[in-house]
Amino acid sequence: MAATNDSQTIEEATTGMESAPDQKTRRYDRQLRLWAKSGQAALESSHILVLSSSSTSTSVLKNLVLPGIGQFTILDRTITSPSDAGNNFFLEGQDSVGKPRAEEAVRLLLELNDGVKGHSIVNKDVKEVLGTEDGVEWLKGTFSLVIAHNLEKGALDQLSDVLWKDAKSPPLVVIRSAGFLAEVFIQFHEHAVIDSHLDTTPSLRIDKPFPALLKHSLEIDFENMDVTDHGHVPYVYILVRVLEEWKQAHGGNPPKTSDEKKEFKAIISKMRKKADEENFEEAEAQAFKCWSSTVVPYDIKSLFGAENVAPHTKPFHLLLKALEVYTTTVEPYTLPLSATLPDMKASTGQYVEIQRLYKDRAVEERDTFKAILDKIIAEQGEDASLIDDEVIDDFVKNSHILRLLKGKKWGALDQDKEKLAEAAASEESSKQLGIHLALSALSSLQANAKKQKLTAEAKAILPEGVELPDEHFDNAIGEAARSPTADLPNTAAFLGGVVAQETIKMITKQYVPINGYCTIDLVETWSGVL
Amino acid sequence: MSTAQGRGTHAKAILGPELYAKLENTHVLLVGAGGIGCELLKNIVLTGFGRITLLDLDTIDLSNLNRQFLFRKKDVKQSKALVAAQTASAFNPNVKITPIHDNIKEPQYDIPWFQQFDLVLNALDNLDARRHVNRMCMAGNVPLVESGTAGYLGQVQPLLKDRTECFDCIPKPTPKTFPVCTIRSTPSQPIHCIVWSKSYLMGQLFGEDEDADAGGELDAAEKEGENAQEIDALRKEATAFKAVRDALRSPTNQDAAHLVFQKVFNADIKNLLSMSDMWKSRSPPIPLDFEGIMNGSFVLRQGANADASTSKLPEAALKDQRTLTLKDNVSLFIESTNRLADRLRNGEDTISFDKDDDDTLDFVTAASNLRSSAYGIETKTRWEVKEMAGNIIPAIATTNAIVSGLIVLQALQLLRKSYDKLRNVHLQFKPAVPLSTISLSLPNPQCGVCRDTYTVLRCDPARATLGEVVKGLLGEDEREVSVYEGQRVLSDPDWDDNNERTLESLSVTRGKFLAIVDEDGELTTLSVGIALLPDDHPADAPPFILPSPLPQPARRVKPPPPAPETPHKANGNGKRLLPVELDDGVIDMAPTPKKPKRNGLAPASVPNGPVSVGTKRKATGREGEEDKSSPSKKRRLEEEGLVVMDGVDDKLEEEPDFILIDD
Repeated sequence: MAATNDSQTIEEATTGMESAPDQKTRRYDRQLRLWAKSGQAALESSHILVLSSSSTSTSVLKNLVLPGIGQFTILDRTITSPSDAGNNFFLEGQDSVGKPRAEEAVRLLLELNDGVKGHSIVNKDVKEVLGTEDGVEWLKGTFSLVIAHNLEKGALDQLSDVLWKDAKSPPLVVIRSAGFLAEVFIQFHEHAVIDSHLDTTPSLRIDKPFPALLKHSLEIDFENMDVTDHGHVPYVYILVRVLEEWKQAHGGNPPKTSDEKKEFKAIISKMRKKADEENFEEAEAQAFKCWSSTVVPYDIKSLFGAENVAPHTKPFHLLLKALEVYTTTVEPYTLPLSATLPDMKASTGQYVEIQRLYKDRAVEERDTFKAILDKIIAEQGEDASLIDDEVIDDFVKNSHILRLLKGKKWGALDQDKEKLAEAAASEESSKQLGIHLALSALSSLQANAKKQKLTAEAKAILPEGVELPDEHFDNAIGEAARSPTADLPNTAAFLGGVVAQETIKMITKQYVPINGYCTIDLVETWSGVL
Repeated sequence: MSTAQGRGTHAKAILGPELYAKLENTHVLLVGAGGIGCELLKNIVLTGFGRITLLDLDTIDLSNLNRQFLFRKKDVKQSKALVAAQTASAFNPNVKITPIHDNIKEPQYDIPWFQQFDLVLNALDNLDARRHVNRMCMAGNVPLVESGTAGYLGQVQPLLKDRTECFDCIPKPTPKTFPVCTIRSTPSQPIHCIVWSKSYLMGQLFGEDEDADAGGELDAAEKEGENAQEIDALRKEATAFKAVRDALRSPTNQDAAHLVFQKVFNADIKNLLSMSDMWKSRSPPIPLDFEGIMNGSFVLRQGANADASTSKLPEAALKDQRTLTLKDNVSLFIESTNRLADRLRNGEDTISFDKDDDDTLDFVTAASNLRSSAYGIETKTRWEVKEMAGNIIPAIATTNAIVSGLIVLQALQLLRKSYDKLRNVHLQFKPAVPLSTISLSLPNPQCGVCRDTYTVLRCDPARATLGEVVKGLLGEDEREVSVYEGQRVLSDPDWDDNNERTLESLSVTRGKFLAIVDEDGELTTLSVGIALLPDDHPADAPPFILPSPLPQPARRVKPPPPAPETPHKANGNGKRLLPVELDDGVIDMAPTPKKPKRNGLAPASVPNGPVSVGTKRKATGREGEEDKSSPSKKRRLEEEGLVVMDGVDDKLEEEPDFILIDD
């Protein structure tokens, strides 16, 4: 892990309180609020390989060095040309011309953050590395992720083959750009996300209250309650109480028809002692929770039984297996309870109390989950230390927003006749395909290819009988022919942001990365995923 | 090939020689050198823009360095504009960057100043400045690209008068505010205590003169019908501040922090408790006992302390995320108060809250937690207080990079006049559709900013009188008008007392706008930007130069008819309510609702109800009229850019009309 050399200078002038953050926390304050300390730790222990030191590549690296990745290496034997000097911010103009571009770029990138280490390799290219067994092992074993910008087709195919063959290999991010067009693809076998930060709230299980919640709700003496207290009973209790009474009167069923639902809300409304009791307003507004049954969400259920194809996702699959067993054997057959409560009208005392009810129950259910997990780990002969408690807590807490992405090999699309034909015919994806084909043709022919030749090359990718998506392809191929190698600063800046963003998502295993070919047309300010 | 020739090869290939050649002579104003500003400056330098003016009033903070890549650790506390210009100029000797370390709202940045630019790019972090620049660009007819980011989300919006919506065509979400008594005597949420600490207590102890504001605020609250007894108690509380203020500034008093504690967390709370009526239907606060807390004998509430003192720091947490015990908070309060008092004694006049100033953050953390403890509200960690009090929106390099790339693309379309290619772009959270683009809408016909007719009046405000200026601007036109500056009425058809007075004596000076409002509501408002006379203006010539030809306000587009049950004319004959004579003899009040333009976007169902923000703002940007509870408090919060959310689960970013902010 990279150490930050951040203990001198201005910090001395500031507070000595134990609560005050260290300098690193201050530097990373804004991003820590997005991905927390765990995400930051993952970044700091990463090592990223970048093939090329183009303007786009250094833009990506800038956005990775600033938030503090551990290390990066640029592999590139290019010598800086005058036009490089004019469009790459991480070169020193005229002074850099004639010098190895990667060396210059690393030096200047490192100025951004002294907590990051950078290396340049300027005496070989990726083909040479791939040519030796040591080189292949080095690629697969050293890096957390590999990024390749406008790598020539032969080398790229070879690289993606090598990395795909062994599921232990790092993910490969492929960037191709020409003028205002670009394409980004991440090759990985499997990517598991526990904290996806998706905006879905966990169920409060009002329709399936746990015993302590039910008991408490039934014990509330609404009638004889002080008016102030009455206006501060959390709506959760109100709903659980009214629902329970309703069910007893309706053969155990919740309200079903819209008349019944209206009647249910009317019951809540009548319970008010004063017209302006906000907690009862909340209860009415949330009443739908009584008749929408808490079940395991489809997105989670569909993960059960997924095949584990990469070694690094083994722990996630064990957790998933445990979750499947939990949701099918432990009543009430839902996800483990979340201790997180939304804000609600309540007195401080009442709120603390309901929080405690939920928290205690969540701990119980977490322990049940953990027992199941331990059993599964033992059955499969895995090491119990494979998953630490913090990860288990995290998993349980986020069990309603888990994601498991299955990736594809780079270039698999070009072999998939059916998919190509489908994409060409569909209005929703023909533009994506047009850009993908234009950039593919460009990468196999390289610069100076005429439009006609590029078109023929693109056509050859498509299976027989499938036509090029006319209008979209024409626009794309025009741009590719016009500016085959131009690394426009704004396209580079944009791609630098997009690629670094996706890289951070992959490394931190938080948020959901783009899966597929993300194609970009900046003339139209348009993006689409194929 | 030399670098000079090589430099533009790529950009030229793409932009075409004609547009590329134009860039060299294009003069761009970049407002803001923060997260977006740094990225943007790099991009426009690389793209080949030849003349750049960069303005920012801020200095560099350590927490900027995770994204504002033109700055290094050695630059901390230096001017952002100056350092950014220096770093970026070194890269391209052909570009001329003029840095200005200043506030864009200063009067010298008037309409003619804005008009020297071909293009304005906003990279701002607050609504107020955004609106100001928008208005100046609408007034000067200068193309503007507006932008903002929040975490992984971002937005870019090109704005051009008469062709697109302006920034204020769509009302922006109003920052939430609280009744003064909630803040001052009956808080029920952590945010109430935080707002109290940073906006009230800090001001009382370390701010300017204590009476001025507090008095006015309480008077206003009383008028709004808040509890009179409660307000009386608050008045008493305010006068007692004098003693502690003096102690904090006295070079000999070593016990000032303790005094403050006793007053604020003990005596003031006891004072409030004496009003038993207040606590009939809510649980009363508990005065804090300094010695008892320090020696461990003080029990606040049964069980209430247990959690805080035993809660351990989860492993994944930062030091700053530690839960502070009651005793911790007392120590932190005393210590930070002493540090702030030392600063006063060493010459600082006033100290106000700044999230990056550790002394003030410690103070606000401790004070708000102590207040929360007294009221039985949950406490917050320093980390959380910083976010809530500082209105922090997470900011990262990647989003800023993406947005800055998009800004220049929109800027190029504007320069190329490819108006059909302009897009409103949102950077979204959806992995399947990272960018969403929307074609631009036309201006909102009811917009109170971009639907005005703008003109510039060059004048000497010390000599030009209101009457002659207005008469001159109207020319042959004899229609009846009212004249405003901001929300102040300067004259109307039945009241011309000010006509003989000079503009300067009416505080209508450089950078301000005179609004000439058609009395019949038939024509759009004529907004007159005040600028100075050219240097070569003869001394014996009239003290102002009328625009030529004279501006011709267009016919107003009528707002949608109001709901039938509310007669539109209801307020029309009522004349003005409660005029207040101020020292300068000007009547200060909100314009009456009969000026329909000021109600511009108010929803049809409440035609005379609260006015949407952003539709009726005038030069001061104040929004007193819609505020039913506490005008001055609200204004203060807004000026600070505080956006308070309704609850922990509310997301500021949810499908925003506009995202506020990276600084």
